[in-house]
Amino acid sequence: MRDFLTVFRYEFRSQVVKKAAIVTMVVIMAILLIVTSLPRIISLFEGAQDQPQPENGIHQAGYVRAEGEAQRLLETVLGTQARAYDDRAALADALAEGEVEVGFLLNKDLSYEALYQDRSMQDERDSMFAQALTSLLKEKKMGDLGLSAQDYLAIEGSAAIGQTTVLGRNSLDNYFISFFLLLLVYIVVLMYGSSVSSIIAREKDSRTMEILITSTRPSRLIIGKVAAAGLAALIQFGGIILVGVIGFLLNKSTYPPELLMLVSGSLTTTYLLTYAFFTFFGFVLYLFLYAALGSTVSKMEDLASATSLVQFLFIAAYILATFAAQMPGSALSVIGSIVPFTSIMVMPLRSAMSTVPLWQTLLAGALMLLFVAFFAYLSIKIYRWGSLNYGNKTKLRRIVKEALRREH
Amino acid sequence: MKLEIQNITKSFGDKEILHGISFSVTSGRAMGFLGRNGAGKSTTIRCLMDVFRQDSGQFLLDGLPFKPWEMRIGYLPEERGMYQKNEVLSQLVYFAMLRGASRQDAARSAEHWIDYFGLGEFKKKKLETLSKGNQQKIQIAQSFLNEPDILILDEPFSGLDPVNAQVFKDTIADFVRQGKLVIFSSHQMGYVEEVCDDVTLIHEGRIILHGALDQIKRAEGKDKLFLSLADGREDSLVEPLRAAFPGLEITRTVEGLVLDTGGEALAAPLMRWLAGQELTLRHFGLYEPSLTDIFIQKVGEAA
Repeated sequence: MRDFLTVFRYEFRSQVVKKAAIVTMVVIMAILLIVTSLPRIISLFEGAQDQPQPENGIHQAGYVRAEGEAQRLLETVLGTQARAYDDRAALADALAEGEVEVGFLLNKDLSYEALYQDRSMQDERDSMFAQALTSLLKEKKMGDLGLSAQDYLAIEGSAAIGQTTVLGRNSLDNYFISFFLLLLVYIVVLMYGSSVSSIIAREKDSRTMEILITSTRPSRLIIGKVAAAGLAALIQFGGIILVGVIGFLLNKSTYPPELLMLVSGSLTTTYLLTYAFFTFFGFVLYLFLYAALGSTVSKMEDLASATSLVQFLFIAAYILATFAAQMPGSALSVIGSIVPFTSIMVMPLRSAMSTVPLWQTLLAGALMLLFVAFFAYLSIKIYRWGSLNYGNKTKLRRIVKEALRREH
Repeated sequence: MKLEIQNITKSFGDKEILHGISFSVTSGRAMGFLGRNGAGKSTTIRCLMDVFRQDSGQFLLDGLPFKPWEMRIGYLPEERGMYQKNEVLSQLVYFAMLRGASRQDAARSAEHWIDYFGLGEFKKKKLETLSKGNQQKIQIAQSFLNEPDILILDEPFSGLDPVNAQVFKDTIADFVRQGKLVIFSSHQMGYVEEVCDDVTLIHEGRIILHGALDQIKRAEGKDKLFLSLADGREDSLVEPLRAAFPGLEITRTVEGLVLDTGGEALAAPLMRWLAGQELTLRHFGLYEPSLTDIFIQKVGEAA
């Protein structure tokens, strides 16, 4: 235990005091704080314009003067703040010069043309105009048919009344938040897995390994390194999540309701426990895999090719998880959520999107624990094997065979 | 303490590298473990340190199974290296702690050896910023951490300049004086001769010589005389000597002639004969072979 703590402290210190790691974390935290504050920042700029917004949201608008009914409709839809221009060319010039952002032209037959100089993806002022105009035209038509405004509202309000009740999970509820958490796992595993494998490969490359394994047991070295990387990840990414949550809470009041709906979801305690369990043990499993593969190379430049196998495996897990998000009940998703290499991602996602039978969760959990124990043992054996094998590349199958035989 | 290496065999694949080697080491006497490249020195040391596990045989310390992880051992591997990108002091403290020292003792020991090798100004530097010679001193310092009871040094002199080699020899001598058990492998005979009390010679995985260096030298020099001339023309004496002393065995070395009398009392007649030749002698006396001579002779005999 004492040696484990010595290794753990040394490796942990090496991980967290790295200048590059600190700078990266601070930059990420700053970016996250800015991103979560974006609606507030944008609203500050919008506030500076000090212009009352029209009720229907069609702001910064202009139109071409029309006659009679068309002019009345334009004024009704666009309000008094909209600027009027004599013809289409004048409106186009105004758009080009930035006097207005959107312009409308209503023909005699009441067909319309919406004009933009440049249109952003989120801009919906043309649709808003169409909607408002449609309502007015319907109202007019009702009037022509001798129906009152109340009749119109009654007809408009006639719709099937009912609700959808999802007894289990509504996948739409948690889609955004569970994918965000999945992405976090993806980044953490790849980042810290690579870190552990490069620490071990560097030890081997610099021939420090023999001093280490004659000073303490390989098991303490490997477990100490993995634990240090795990805690470093937890602290660094915990910090990032914390900054994100603080940013969110501070700026929540400025978020549009659609965004709040996406973020909130309905994450249950069961889901959070499932996420925590499979993420933690899956992360540890991958760290042991990375550690084992780091021990198999003699030179740092061989590390990328040695760890490519586990990278592919992990990317496959991610792809499977995205598939599971679409079809959480499919056979592939079920298998993916039980096999430990993929369950790290698929099980939490299935759990967020659908109701997972308890036996499947328990089976996946038990398998995960077994795999962690086995791969911890295997990585210790491979580490020991690797400390004495330099030079020629050996096939992975032979490495495993020799490492387990322990004839050295 | 007495460390006994008993009938150790070790194979890699189908090839047996160590063929049942046995020898012993006693504390307070430095033991030089000699052999050519590939003779089996490092494999023996790695088996001793439990880096490899031997196929058969055992290591005993004072009659009990030797467990390196339970001992205070200073080990310098042949393939040595340390964390290039880490601070010198912090990694020495780390190694000392891994070998059982408390943080305070580890720091004290690490600082002591850094200062001992005159590298105090580099203790907070990354190892990679030190010169190669200074890096070697730090690597040697790691083997001295925690006042080890047993020192196992694999090729410790390789790459050391004469000044550093002298510092290192003095340190080993200090450890020996303190009654520590010291083994070091080398194929640099000069250093071994200066430092070691005992030698063990391994050749192709077999021990071909083991014992106290002075006794080995005496035994190898028994009944032998050494003759060298001031003008270096010893070759001209070979035939006249053979004619005058038919039982004499003559071997030419770089420095002169080794005359094996075969146990006969030939010193006095030889002296008289030489006096009659009107030669300018540089040296004439009992022959004491160098370790290099013994090494070459024994390896030659074994080949």
